[in-house]
Amino acid sequence: MNFRWRVLDLPMLICLLCLAVLGSATLYAAVHQGDIALWQRQNIHWLFGIGIFVLMCVVPLRVYALAAWPAYVIALIFLALVPMVGVVQLGARRWLNLGLFHLQPSEMMKWALMLLMAHWFASREANRLKPLSIALAFAVVPAALIFTQPDLGTTLVLLFATTAMLIASGLPWRWLAYAMILALLSAPLLWHHMHDYQRMRILSFLNPQSDPLGAGYHVIQSTIAIGSGGIFGKGYLQGTQARLHFLPEQHTDFIFGVLAEEGGLIVAMLLLVLYGILISRILIIASRAHTRFGSLVCLGIASIFLIYIGVNIGMVSGLLPVVGVPLPFISYGGSALVTMLAALGVVMRVAIESENKVPWQRPGSPLL
Amino acid sequence: MSGLKTRQSFDRRILAFQIGSLLILLMLTARLIDLQWIQHEALAQQAEQNRVDIVPILPTRGEIVDDDGRGMAVNRVRFQVQMIPERVGNTNQALSALAIMLHWDADTVRRLRQRIAHARPDRPVLLDDKLPWRTVAPLAARLHHFPGINVLAGTERLYPYGAITSHLLGYLSLAQPEDIDHGAMSNELVGRSGAERSFDTQLRGKPGFRREEVDAHGRRVAVLGRTEPQMGNVLKLSIDMDVQKAAWKALGNRTGAVVVMNVHTGKLLALLSKPGFDTNHFITGLEEKEWGAWLHNPRKPLLDRAIQGAFPPASTFKLITALAGLRYHAPLASGTTECKGILKLPDRTLHCWKHVGHGRIDLRRAIYESCDIFFYKLGDQIGMADMMAEARRWGLGKRTGIDLAGEVSGHLAGARPEAKRQLWYKGETMITAIGQGETDVTPLQMARFAAALANGGLLLKPELRADTPPVVQSRVDVNPANLAFVRQAMRDVVAKIHGTAHAWLYNSPWHVAGKTGTAQVISEIQDIQGHESPVFDRHRDHAWFIGFAPFEHPQIAFAVFVEHGGHGGSAAAPIAAAVIRTLAAKEAREKKEGAPPTQAAAPLSPHA
Repeated sequence: MNFRWRVLDLPMLICLLCLAVLGSATLYAAVHQGDIALWQRQNIHWLFGIGIFVLMCVVPLRVYALAAWPAYVIALIFLALVPMVGVVQLGARRWLNLGLFHLQPSEMMKWALMLLMAHWFASREANRLKPLSIALAFAVVPAALIFTQPDLGTTLVLLFATTAMLIASGLPWRWLAYAMILALLSAPLLWHHMHDYQRMRILSFLNPQSDPLGAGYHVIQSTIAIGSGGIFGKGYLQGTQARLHFLPEQHTDFIFGVLAEEGGLIVAMLLLVLYGILISRILIIASRAHTRFGSLVCLGIASIFLIYIGVNIGMVSGLLPVVGVPLPFISYGGSALVTMLAALGVVMRVAIESENKVPWQRPGSPLL
Repeated sequence: MSGLKTRQSFDRRILAFQIGSLLILLMLTARLIDLQWIQHEALAQQAEQNRVDIVPILPTRGEIVDDDGRGMAVNRVRFQVQMIPERVGNTNQALSALAIMLHWDADTVRRLRQRIAHARPDRPVLLDDKLPWRTVAPLAARLHHFPGINVLAGTERLYPYGAITSHLLGYLSLAQPEDIDHGAMSNELVGRSGAERSFDTQLRGKPGFRREEVDAHGRRVAVLGRTEPQMGNVLKLSIDMDVQKAAWKALGNRTGAVVVMNVHTGKLLALLSKPGFDTNHFITGLEEKEWGAWLHNPRKPLLDRAIQGAFPPASTFKLITALAGLRYHAPLASGTTECKGILKLPDRTLHCWKHVGHGRIDLRRAIYESCDIFFYKLGDQIGMADMMAEARRWGLGKRTGIDLAGEVSGHLAGARPEAKRQLWYKGETMITAIGQGETDVTPLQMARFAAALANGGLLLKPELRADTPPVVQSRVDVNPANLAFVRQAMRDVVAKIHGTAHAWLYNSPWHVAGKTGTAQVISEIQDIQGHESPVFDRHRDHAWFIGFAPFEHPQIAFAVFVEHGGHGGSAAAPIAAAVIRTLAAKEAREKKEGAPPTQAAAPLSPHA
């Protein structure tokens, strides 16, 4: 096999390396006063995740296409098992105990659904009612299951990712507009079926000061952390909100607060630029892909990353309600990190397979 | 791949994704600029408020000392033992070890175990309080063996003289919300009565502050800065504890009040009410039972009789009647009358205390033998209005303005709203002339009156502080000859063989001038209340003795009041004698040493 390094997308790799360094440094700042073992474990997660990344790079793309249906079915079965044998944590039944580790089937479903959608629309357009409604059914069944766990955040992420996949697959804009109007009209119904704590979160998001010690506390403290960082930050390991534990969940969902407090606007912007480059590279790979399946997979992965980034930073900075979504490559969490690196591995595989081949589209794309 | 759109369509979608992601990232950027640039200052301030805790440091309360510098209210160092449960390996084991060192019984240990079980493990739990050094010393020396156990030093207010100074000094209690509104700290002690209350501001000092960095759980992480508290000022009182103690001792177990005043400055050398109550108990945590016992005790220990008790002045009022008679030239003031021991009036029959009568008698003898019949007649000649005007002139029936809360004014006859009338029965005017009837005065008013007689008519503000200039409240316009006459008559009370206080004061080291008084309580209680009180003691007469000494060059004036004490001569005069003996002995000692007295050691060491 005459492997050539230049088939690898270098900007994406550099970007990933920067994110690894920034993520590791930020996590260290978040845990250095407490459980330093978390930081060491996350570094091991990185090594393991890079291994998975490499593995995904060498698996041919058609294997993923073949795996789409089985992955979706397995994820759906796991999801259906959760209400029966799931483990309750923090008031919600979301996890399955698989002996070695706790699996969150909703997390698995996000990727499996994306893969299935890519596979489904690889040979179909989303501007016909029949394939579109079948694709919607793929999404609605797991979304309903996840919503009842209850996990509002993941449900919304799933629906947004689905929407992105449908747009990529040629959903007419007009139909999208209709769907959005319909969704707005059905919002009161959704509100009615929500759990109290979910309503509380939305209410406290709308006015965090109304409950400063309860549900609003997290957002108030993270907003203070970000804002007090200013333009240049308080200095590495010097953030008072982080160091004195005013910032909640600072090594997981709220880790952006640590970064923005200690690094200021400059480092926060650096992170956003890195994310921007990463997503942009994935989209470029999508447009160069040799197959429509490869393009759609890349678009799906880019969408999921974008949703994670937007929802997480939006939540931590007080723009969105509190939804448990990790900040890619920065938040602590082994399975999330390994899954995202695996997804990037798939993207890289698409890039490798497109090398020296004509994209499934005709050449001369304005993006290249 | 038929039916699929061309590349233009798909590329447009990808372009839409690029633009969409850029827009989302720009939105986040805008929010970050908003928070980190535009709102930075406000949020940085909030972060600062989060992390910085301002902890007040209480100042040490100023001590109160007597005129010789002896501690009357002092601060004693006391120790507290605290435990932070999460830092203690084995709580039960630590408690058992502490129980041996601090002498806890099994009950205490059980109670503490419960307290710890219910407390937050990261916050200090109070285990024991108000411990003297000798108790905590063994623990303090081995503190490194007890992780999570702290010994903290603090001060405790101690009143070495206890009940002797209870009304005078008052007591402290923890600040209430209204005190906090006036600037007190929440765990600060505030004076509730007596001098502790009146001079609270100067005694309290100013609290300091410690700026601490705290974490989200309220744990102290670092001390950022410190402003030292400003200690309270020492309050020096004019009280002479030797005099105060002598008066207390002389009163024995009787109920009463003693006021001793410097006739030139108005400074009080003794201000005493008995029974008292041990103010130390307020500080060490007063039991409700004990408070109740004081509150319901028929002898009313909580009442400060010297300033809050108003009693009929009895025969001491005859001095007022005499001064009024001389001022208004009543015929009897320069004449004589016959005392047969009884005086029949249309509405009642009045008696002299001496049932056989005094015979032919003039004003001077009527004062020193305290003839009632003479004064009935003299009062009748003067009339109610002029008699009361004279009493008012000498400061009776109104507050003296002493710096203590709760002073009462007493009453002059006719001053009560229901008794404001122009017409008086002859008998009423007559009994008013000998200090019975409606008139009530406080012992402090009588002492000030006696001082004014001694100093030529200056009504002085009774002053507790040693270092303030005297305040003359008014100057009584009195003919010096009349004053000299009354003073001589008062001297006769002691000097003449038939003087009512002769037996108890004739051999006093200083020549004393005074006037006895015996307030008849039985008839009053029966007249007003119409039934007999079950307590026999209550029926006994109140005894008064007021006066000044030395007669030739007056230095001090006094008022002694003994509730249900019996006769003014036998019950009250010996107490004045004890006070004067103490003062005279002190003067002799000073003369011998040729120097002011050195600061004598306090009876109890203030720093235990």
